[in-house]
Amino acid sequence: MLKRKLLAMMIAAAVSGTSHAAVDINGFASIKGGMALSSDDSLYGYDDDFSFKNESLAALQVKSDLGDKLSVTAQLLGRGADDWDVKFEWAFLSYDLSDSLRVNAGRLRTPFYKYSDFRDVGYAYDWSRVPQSVYGLGFDNIEGASLYHTTTLGNFDSSLQFIVGSYDGDTSIGSAVADAQIENITGVAWELGQDGYSFRMAYLTGKTTFYVDQLDSPAGLYAQLTAFGLGALAKNLDIVDESSSFAGIGFNIDKNDWLVVSEITKAKVEDSFISDQESYYISLGHRFDNITPYVSFEKEDNKAKTEIYAGVPSASPIYAPVAGLVNSLETERNSINLGVRYDFHPSAAFKAQYTNADNKTADRKDSVLVVGVDLVF
Amino acid sequence: MLKKLFLIPALTLSFMAFANVAVIVHPSNAATLSQDDINKIFTGRAKSFTDGKAAEPVNLAEAVAIRADFDQKALGRSSSQMKAYWSKLVFTGKGTPPKELASEQEVLDAVAKNPAAIGYVSSGAVTGSVKVALTLN
Repeated sequence: MLKRKLLAMMIAAAVSGTSHAAVDINGFASIKGGMALSSDDSLYGYDDDFSFKNESLAALQVKSDLGDKLSVTAQLLGRGADDWDVKFEWAFLSYDLSDSLRVNAGRLRTPFYKYSDFRDVGYAYDWSRVPQSVYGLGFDNIEGASLYHTTTLGNFDSSLQFIVGSYDGDTSIGSAVADAQIENITGVAWELGQDGYSFRMAYLTGKTTFYVDQLDSPAGLYAQLTAFGLGALAKNLDIVDESSSFAGIGFNIDKNDWLVVSEITKAKVEDSFISDQESYYISLGHRFDNITPYVSFEKEDNKAKTEIYAGVPSASPIYAPVAGLVNSLETERNSINLGVRYDFHPSAAFKAQYTNADNKTADRKDSVLVVGVDLVF
Repeated sequence: MLKKLFLIPALTLSFMAFANVAVIVHPSNAATLSQDDINKIFTGRAKSFTDGKAAEPVNLAEAVAIRADFDQKALGRSSSQMKAYWSKLVFTGKGTPPKELASEQEVLDAVAKNPAAIGYVSSGAVTGSVKVALTLN
């Protein structure tokens, strides 16, 4: 306790240079161990060797209130999967324009989903992980600014967020790593809640550019197609400054200890080989005092844009690589989760979750079991 | 000392019977408060009293038994659920939970001193230096 205060004072001095800034230090951690349940299975980074590293994480947040409605927040997060390398997951300043209107600027979370903002804070929800079929867009953060407005509309609590910014970093596309840039991101997310019921919608657009070495380099597929006189086909495949959109709706019921959550999302990158992505999940749980069992169903349906290569004769030497590329992004996968949360301590929850994913495109089924503890401090 | 010894069994008894929670404000505060208003203030959804004046909620630490009663009666949630609720806001820059004080005496002192403060103690602990806005039982 004393140590924490001392640390707080040191950070306060370092951050603000003044001695009277109020500093809050909070943190959260998830220590999880899991494994795939048969030797050929692999899912969410697990194989049949028990791993404590794959989904464990720890984070420390420092918030300094600089007075006059201005504050600065930094959240440092280390993931076991990244060898616990610590990164700034969030770093932003906040300014309260009024009691109901706040501006945040800096490194923020993109508000795609209901649980986007706090998906790393396992303690804040019942599952062991947010549903991957829906939450698998591949990038979470944005450098930009958001305007956050909260008010009451009749009996409803309304929170409305506008966001602008850009993303620059790695993402995965199929099994390849892509250097991604998404410019001119603009979006809105709106949540309405009343007495245990809430409804949310989000819509974001941006201009997406992905650079994948095997495709975009001078010796890559696009250059070869162009040399073949198929520059137009290359343009239909490549991902250069393409209009992109994301739409999501969701609802949540928390009534008489019954818990229902569902989200449906649709993502598109126009004029590229990226498949149109449609996903949803629905989860049903019941709170028995401090034990909450739940079951959920997820569906991921990514449709390959086969129309791109419809005009290419199958005897052509470029048919196989082009069709292979386009078809590699087709995925139809259904997943079922069974799990339980047990609040065994005021600041910690034990969780266990079994997942079975049925990948119809690849014709394989994979199962994973994960147990662990989520805590906040 | 004798008084203290006398208090212990009395307190224990009152916890077993679920103590009544007195929501307290500064004596100069004339606002009327419903359970819903109190819920909104202690969950950060309202930042002012019904008369428009700024509200500064003060909470009790989880170690104080009346805290769980308050969470259940005023907010309709367990202390764990409240912690999950605040962790959603704290780690996303959307809100800060009310300051927590270590004892009912500290809450009484804080509310007696500050016209904007709102807190709660068990009904039996109320003194003349604060005003009871609502009793939850």
